[in-house]
Amino acid sequence: MPDHKPKTELLDELEKGPWPSFVKEIKSAGQTSASAQDLLRQLELSYQEKKGHWKHGGLVGVLGYGGGVIGRYSDVGEQFPNVAHFHTIRVNQPAGWFYTSDAIRTLCDIWERHGSGLTNMHGSTGDIILLGTRTPELEPTFQELAQAGFDLGGSGSSFRTPSCCVGMARCEWACYDAMRLCYDLTMAYQDEMHRPPFPYKFKLKCAACPNDCVAAIARSDLSIIGTWKDEIQVDESAVTEYASAGLNIQKDVCDLCPTKCMAWDGHKLGIENHECVRCMHCINVMPKALRPGKGRGAVLMIGGKAPIMQGALLSSVLVPFVAADELLDTVKELLRRIWDFWDEYGNNRERVGELIQRVGLPAFLDGIGLDPIPEMVSAPRDNPYIFYQAAKDGAK
Amino acid sequence: MSATTEPRITDIGPPHYEKYLHPLIKKNYGQWKYHENLAPGVYCHVAESGDRIYTVRAGTPRLLSVQTLRIFADLADKYSGGYLRFTSRNNLEFLLDDPVRIEPLKQELIALGYPVGGTNNAISNIVHTQGWIHCHSSATDASGLVKCTMDALYERFTHEDLPAKLRIAVACCLNMCGAVHCSDIAILGVHRLPPKIQPTLPRVCEVPTLIAACPTGAIRPAVVDGKHSVTVVEQQCMYCGNCYTVCSAMPMNDADNDGLSIWVGGKVSNARSAPTFSKLAIPFLPNNPPRWPEVVEAIVKIVDVYAKHARKYERVGEWIERIGWPRFFQLTGFEFTRYHIDDFKHAALTYARSAHVRY
Amino acid sequence: MPVFEINGNSYEVDEDGFLQEPERWNHEVAKDFANTEAITDLTEEHWKVIDYIRNYYLEFGIAPMVRKVCKETGHKLSEIYKLFPSGPAKGACKLAGLPKPAGCV
Repeated sequence: MPDHKPKTELLDELEKGPWPSFVKEIKSAGQTSASAQDLLRQLELSYQEKKGHWKHGGLVGVLGYGGGVIGRYSDVGEQFPNVAHFHTIRVNQPAGWFYTSDAIRTLCDIWERHGSGLTNMHGSTGDIILLGTRTPELEPTFQELAQAGFDLGGSGSSFRTPSCCVGMARCEWACYDAMRLCYDLTMAYQDEMHRPPFPYKFKLKCAACPNDCVAAIARSDLSIIGTWKDEIQVDESAVTEYASAGLNIQKDVCDLCPTKCMAWDGHKLGIENHECVRCMHCINVMPKALRPGKGRGAVLMIGGKAPIMQGALLSSVLVPFVAADELLDTVKELLRRIWDFWDEYGNNRERVGELIQRVGLPAFLDGIGLDPIPEMVSAPRDNPYIFYQAAKDGAK
Repeated sequence: MSATTEPRITDIGPPHYEKYLHPLIKKNYGQWKYHENLAPGVYCHVAESGDRIYTVRAGTPRLLSVQTLRIFADLADKYSGGYLRFTSRNNLEFLLDDPVRIEPLKQELIALGYPVGGTNNAISNIVHTQGWIHCHSSATDASGLVKCTMDALYERFTHEDLPAKLRIAVACCLNMCGAVHCSDIAILGVHRLPPKIQPTLPRVCEVPTLIAACPTGAIRPAVVDGKHSVTVVEQQCMYCGNCYTVCSAMPMNDADNDGLSIWVGGKVSNARSAPTFSKLAIPFLPNNPPRWPEVVEAIVKIVDVYAKHARKYERVGEWIERIGWPRFFQLTGFEFTRYHIDDFKHAALTYARSAHVRY
Repeated sequence: MPVFEINGNSYEVDEDGFLQEPERWNHEVAKDFANTEAITDLTEEHWKVIDYIRNYYLEFGIAPMVRKVCKETGHKLSEIYKLFPSGPAKGACKLAGLPKPAGCV
């Protein structure tokens, strides 16, 4: 252990103020970890120079896996030898990010023995992030984690660690068992997660209702978003209670309904359910009075991603409704077809959403064997540049 | 590689979540009836059975030491039977079956420096990326930006007094790990200079992959000293850094020209309006660690103006949609520049294509 | 630049042990690098993969995509991991003397 404390005048500024400080966390890890101390020193240098000091991603891992570890090397390793190698291990989180105190302590003990003692709870994709260790520590860390029942998550061109919202564990709006589906799909695709087989990354997220607490629509290639098919469940006496407690049902509920499918006559709430788009606003406002219907399931959406490389995309509708008890089988069948098509036609480092942009949704639908339906578009095309197939292949 | 005698364990997947569920949650799984918001950071979920589970939510810096995690574990043992969870926005939640323990837990969390809140119409914790802590392509730090922004918005986390939810995210480069592009307010690290081609390029990089990695086709093949390399058409570079991700010999970092941009009005929820991307509010602010005063000032400005002018239930994007962008720029005092007008693919879809003008 | 020394040979490599002098590559070099990848004996099956990757690289300047490697060598991905325990990117490409394959982390 270095016997002097790092001098970090700039970072010390970030120990001030009411919000919990990450600098305190690094210092606290630094009590027992030389690499956490050097991380602090290197970070101080970054703050002085306004420049990062990590080299381009390395390629390290554990035997038998092609991912799960992000290699990282410092470009000032001679100055800060304890972070010269500072690899990150992605550990697949338990669905819904639930833990017991013992599970947390187990992870801490393993990581204190083998790494910097610093973590992210959690990374953007959802994994437990163990931040910073050296190559020789990877295999022992991996095997100790495995003994404790944990496994690595995805990285590179793999099926990335799926994540989900809290779902049925603690939410009355869950339209399907998101934690179970997330777990089952994770287990079904261990091979695709650990041994990257795809043109690029593939992300999947399970949100149990249209509030989408895991941002599935914005950042997963396959977004599974809970919804229902039948009527919103209404507890009329609870509606009245909200009204008498001062909620302005006309203004705060009916007027904000996107399809204006609700009417309030001062006594009774009327809902034209066939006009309802299941946006959740009214249910969010009156959770005691309104609930999703009983015919629950999910809408499957495809192609969400961040900007790199052809621009950001939100997922769009692929299957408007799958009943909850058919979700696992349907998603697996759909994934098989999507991955086959992507494998065949996807370019290197091309996300599924970008492939669909390039070949067009109709060709993609042909490829995976789905019929086009109006739910898939916000409107039919408005340009007349149609590639008619009839003349070419004699189709109708 | 040392040979191990024990067989290696692989492909076991994550632990099954069931073993980490509070007995009350296991009992009422899928049987929740409704919930109430008892106070900022405190929920009560009521099951069909009449059982109640109480949640106490606290903010964390996401970057957590094992020492702090053990403190959380001790708190869970003391107050919630050892059960805890994290949220998708890096908050910590304790799950209690006894409401009497809520207040003591809150007090202990606050005394330890972890604010209780982030629920309902509060600003929740900031989703963010690695920044200078661990990323190779970052234009700025993420943890530091989060810290100073949340210091300034602390009261917005512990109180639920905004018109609606407000979600902030930080990404340290255009890769945007996390849903930064669909946030009410997004802080995005940007580069503003083209990559600097290093002489090692031909032997450390795959040239065709590198050329294919450029979204604008700015990277062209070239032969340099008899070896296959590239040149960059600088006018075509929009500094995304994707070339650096595939080729280490194309570094982008530049202390003087890297900085921040601010984006507003995105959301992922389907409530009322459809999910939408965030739009550019400020094209560039200086990278000014350790406390980024220009960024913090801009964020606080947006939040304050929104809090004052938006109607109940209106998210930032919905509010701006109603009042119009000219008014947004007028109210915030942000300058509208040429950079605000899209000039990439499908840009025309963002031009004002009607005579609807507010005066 | 780190140097990898084995059997009296020394090679310039990057941090992850990838050869930085592509022109020096031959089967003997591949054998030297096999020692770093937990491979004791290079069989005909190994050479099929290595040579395919090498030739693809010489022709196109890039590492082939994983599915191409599987298709062209007739190996399932799991078999490739049996041959090259650290996988096609880190294992097979390293032995084939390619620069570190580009990929997203």
